[in-house]
Amino acid sequence: MRFNEKELVFLSRQPPERAAELGMRGPKKGDVVKRRLVKLIVNFLFYFRTDEDEVSVNQSQWHRYHYCYRYLFLDEAERKYLFECDSQEQCEEWIDAVVKASYEFMRKNLIYYRTEIHRLTGKDPLEQYGISDETRFQVNSGLPPPPT
Amino acid sequence: MKLNEKSVAHYATCNSPPDKTGFLFKKGERNTAYHRRWFILKGNMLFYFEERESREPIGVIVLEGCTVELCESESEEFAFAVKFDCVKARVYKMAAENQAAMESWVKALSRASFDYMRLVVKELERQLEEVQEEARSSQAKNKPKKHQPQVQGATFSLQNAAITGPSQEGVSSRENGVSWSKPTSVPNGVSEGSVWEGDFCGRGDGVKPPPVPPRRKTNGGSPESPVSPGTGCFSKLHEWYGKEVAELRIEWMQSK
Repeated sequence: MRFNEKELVFLSRQPPERAAELGMRGPKKGDVVKRRLVKLIVNFLFYFRTDEDEVSVNQSQWHRYHYCYRYLFLDEAERKYLFECDSQEQCEEWIDAVVKASYEFMRKNLIYYRTEIHRLTGKDPLEQYGISDETRFQVNSGLPPPPT
Repeated sequence: MKLNEKSVAHYATCNSPPDKTGFLFKKGERNTAYHRRWFILKGNMLFYFEERESREPIGVIVLEGCTVELCESESEEFAFAVKFDCVKARVYKMAAENQAAMESWVKALSRASFDYMRLVVKELERQLEEVQEEARSSQAKNKPKKHQPQVQGATFSLQNAAITGPSQEGVSSRENGVSWSKPTSVPNGVSEGSVWEGDFCGRGDGVKPPPVPPRRKTNGGSPESPVSPGTGCFSKLHEWYGKEVAELRIEWMQSK
């Protein structure tokens, strides 16, 4: 699948929400924990090899995330990643950041605020910006389409 | 650069509803003819398929940091371009089938970035706080007639929000004309040690996702600052929300 690599590399150099050197174990059988510079930027998780400039990226749509002590587990549909933090506190900060680095999470928040403001004031706060009809901001967004 | 392609491609075709779909003509990279492709916009990713029925995308354009412009084309009417700020970036030229479709796509693509969504969320969060504050103070004053809290409009433009870096504490203005008074954080519902299922792929039974718990200030109007991801206040967050989230989850699971 083609993707706009140059632009993603450029994105990987923007100021991150969060960055740290962490232990990281990839999803393949036999993968071991390696030190990686991990950067969270918008809804992408970039990780750099510390000795080289090479970068990989996961679009941050995790299927499941959980943590235990200082280990963070992020699962895609079939692949599981493990991140080893230096402390439980750091691990908690990372999971907090990863949860918020999700487009769907942002969308749900938007819908929540929009609904609340409308409930309290009778006005749609998006109307004044001319975006109240945008599909992505509709109150039933994020739900699967009804079965046909 | 390696991308988690399988996962990303899966996101394109899983049953979460797309933000926009349709046919567009896309100018090829080497072959400069325009090819008709089926496009699916989800979040800040624009996927394109050879055909509408294709199971896997040919490619994806990550829209973060892009600007969308109308453009003149010798061969195509209703043409527009997706451009990026970085050096030697590729310009993606596309054309719609009519004026309405072109305008609709240009609007949708220019608002597709995560950064834009985040800005809107922050603004609405600020507005909600204002509204709640008004409601609280009007209750305190105990006015005889019904008090309608007004939503204060901020003057800011939501056209083509370009990425200038993620919001940081204390940032008060941006290049694209957006200005904020105080950036505040977004609530989350993660409780310690538990497994949180991301449900972005949706479920087939039409159940609504659990509501996001609202941000709350502590009782007695203490000067405690709002929690933010950067200040490591997760333990506070956990205390404040942990109980409520656990209850909400139980409620939600039982209602399924």
